[in-house]
Amino acid sequence: MSTPIVSLAEIIQNSEIAPDIYRMELQAPEITQKANPGQFLHIRCSDTVSPLLRRPISIAQINEKTGNMGIIYRVVGEGTQLLCQKSPGSRVDIIGPLGRGFPLPDKDKTSVIIGGGIGVAPILYLAEKIAQQHKNDNSITVLLGFVTKQEAFGIEFLESLGVKTIVATDDGTLGYKGFPTDLLDKYLKMHQDISRHVIYACGPKHMLSRVKTIAGGKNIPAYLSLEERMACGIGACLGCSVKSTQEGYKKVCKDGPVFEAGEIDLD
Amino acid sequence: MNIDMDISVDIAGIVMKNPIMVASGTFGFGREYSDFYDINKLGALVTKGLTLLPKHGNPPPRTYETPAGMLNSVGLENPGVEKFIEKEWPHLSKLTTPIIANIDGDTVEDYQKIAKWLSTLENLAALEVNISCPNVEKGGLAFGQDPESAFQVIKAVREATNLPIIAKLSPNVTHIQTIAKATESAGADAISLINTLLGMAIDIHNHQPIFRRTFAGLSGPAVKPVALRMVWEVYEAVSVPIIAMGGITTWQDAAEFILAGASAVAVGTANFINPRAPIEIIEGLKTYLCLKEQNLQQLIGSAHGGRHLTY
Repeated sequence: MSTPIVSLAEIIQNSEIAPDIYRMELQAPEITQKANPGQFLHIRCSDTVSPLLRRPISIAQINEKTGNMGIIYRVVGEGTQLLCQKSPGSRVDIIGPLGRGFPLPDKDKTSVIIGGGIGVAPILYLAEKIAQQHKNDNSITVLLGFVTKQEAFGIEFLESLGVKTIVATDDGTLGYKGFPTDLLDKYLKMHQDISRHVIYACGPKHMLSRVKTIAGGKNIPAYLSLEERMACGIGACLGCSVKSTQEGYKKVCKDGPVFEAGEIDLD
Repeated sequence: MNIDMDISVDIAGIVMKNPIMVASGTFGFGREYSDFYDINKLGALVTKGLTLLPKHGNPPPRTYETPAGMLNSVGLENPGVEKFIEKEWPHLSKLTTPIIANIDGDTVEDYQKIAKWLSTLENLAALEVNISCPNVEKGGLAFGQDPESAFQVIKAVREATNLPIIAKLSPNVTHIQTIAKATESAGADAISLINTLLGMAIDIHNHQPIFRRTFAGLSGPAVKPVALRMVWEVYEAVSVPIIAMGGITTWQDAAEFILAGASAVAVGTANFINPRAPIEIIEGLKTYLCLKEQNLQQLIGSAHGGRHLTY
């Protein structure tokens, strides 16, 4: 894991891409250079002690040429509310890249990537990275899930990469009516040879839990990215724990946020 | 401006190049923050609380943000003394900054055993005896809320070690001075305070406390005035040096605590927000003393006027 960097990054862009969902572009070349898919930034949203703690937000896009980095976040509370009000040209205090990201697949593997809601954000960078490595179009399928059409994002970006993208919405306003895990079930039924498959997922806990069950049932390796409230974000405070299948707990910020499905107990 | 001025301090034989320490439980065993600066610049490093046997800690959630503060219920997750010596001590012992081990027990005998074990380590600077952890089933806070049990724990540790002993007190008591005096008379060489304040939070959607253990420990800027008041009180009650902690985020906070009577201060929750906070506080304090043309010793407790000049 690379050494994290503290940076006062310039905001290049900060705009609403769907209701309450923002994309922020930051200039932080030294972090951009090191970042791997699945890693996150720990962002200070306020200059005062309110709100006190930083907010962990995953890296959604990397532009190696410009040194810019994109994050996509949902406004859910005090911190993200302040973040969405920041203007281009101003600076934001970030630490990154943090955590253990997604291990990239071997060249002969076929990747199935599942993203749910705001969990789609890190999936974008992961899909891009895998697409760069694998020239074969059939080697990646992305399954996305949103509550409704209005909240969908990232689809055009994935299609521009030439990545096969299938969308589900809870209410059926876009694509399949149902959950992305239903799409995963269907996908696995349609594909006879799943021995070379690897699954990646980021989304709400119940979705990850379902992915873990499906992958476990078919003996497919699966990597899950977890979301948890954090204090330090670097492994010192032991505040963001997830139950380990071995004994005790693992730190979401440092041992994760991406875990091999067998490492963690999501029940 | 000469900011290379001497701000060293000697607390019960622990020689520190500056009075800025890092508080137990906010700094692990030093590894994480080494990524951000040379941790040898710290006055001293206090380890995560150690228990005789490994502890897995409490189930999540373990943290919850509050106005200008946070609640935690980590529950002393730690590898236990044996693993600490095997895995963490080799790198800690190489640091030039003094290392203080924070210890916690379920029973008086536990504290004694840990103290004896750690006393075998060459270069360990001191033991901070935690009689104030609010997040565990047994021991911890219970020892720190009653002067008689506080006395017994410190006395037992005193008999088990020749290392300097720092008694870490809880703010969750009616008379902090009584507890402070009890630990001083039991042989504590210094007193550190405050540990976290007992608090809680409730989930208004499912009508249940946020934390499994209902109560958790409040820290951060929100607790600073309470900590400052308690340091003030303890300074007037004891003659051993005081190490202050509780919401210290800036050098101005550190200066307030020193004026209230602290010989050294520890940065805790602020590490989570600004990893470089201790370094910035050291620099700020040097500049402050330089501008005032005063040395650190003159400043300690000086807000008390002529009422309490020496310890």
